Amino acid sequence: MSRKLAVLFLAMLVLAGAMGLKTVIASHNGGAVMMANGGAPVPRK
Amino acid sequence: MPGPFDYTVWILCTLLEAGVVVCSLLRHSFRRYFTLNLYMMASVATSLGRYVFLTRSGLASNEYTYFYYYSDAILTICLYFALMGMYSLVFEELGAKTYVRAFSMLLLAGTALFSYGVVHQSESRMVTPYVFELSQNLYFVGLVLTYLLWGAVLKMRETRARVVQFILSLGVYFSLYAANYALHNIYPNIGYWMYLPPLISTLLPIAWCYALLRFNEDARLAPARLAVIPR
Repeated sequence: MSRKLAVLFLAMLVLAGAMGLKTVIASHNGGAVMMANGGAPVPRK
Repeated sequence: MPGPFDYTVWILCTLLEAGVVVCSLLRHSFRRYFTLNLYMMASVATSLGRYVFLTRSGLASNEYTYFYYYSDAILTICLYFALMGMYSLVFEELGAKTYVRAFSMLLLAGTALFSYGVVHQSESRMVTPYVFELSQNLYFVGLVLTYLLWGAVLKMRETRARVVQFILSLGVYFSLYAANYALHNIYPNIGYWMYLPPLISTLLPIAWCYALLRFNEDARLAPARLAVIPR
């Protein structure tokens, strides 16, 4: 039971950390988007 | 329409991605690194699909825009599974496969719920913004997970050369994208930021091709060359 809770806690901790990092990085919102898959051109819309 | 630079980088990237799968098959490592190969195959298929939509409908069309963002979300999920595949490899000797799977599914579900929560507050037509938000959030989850995995590699003194190479290249890949994203937000008037992502996207297949061709499955790196951790 404690291991299952530890896994849940870790997952939520990583999620909180990642969203915190995103908030810090995107705090100067200049309208940029993060598209990181493949070399295809980003749509002009 | 995209210029010669865009097409050159795109074709190069797609060929390199296909090259990873070919190298993997030639080295008999396809099943062992299945999630990495799955991501590369999905990326090649997506590039072909995007090319079809681009030539039929154009860069500013709704069709291309929708296909681009939806396929990006699918690819991001594939990349997330590739990363979790690396976790499974690193922790396989500890017998923690079940926990890694549970962790990855919980984190994916948490990210999906969080993205829903963000979009639910502000949008009436939700599906497209939700897909976009999920994709963006998964990048940052992937970034944090990669650094955590690198910490685990150092702590556990992982020495398998291919695994180390795969993880390091993922770290460089995510970090460069995050840096580009941050700089684009800080200096939105500089136009060069839009040229960098396609170039960065070629780094991952190059590094994975190199790892598959340069090292065999039994190759080891000396722990002292990775880091010296005091006990």
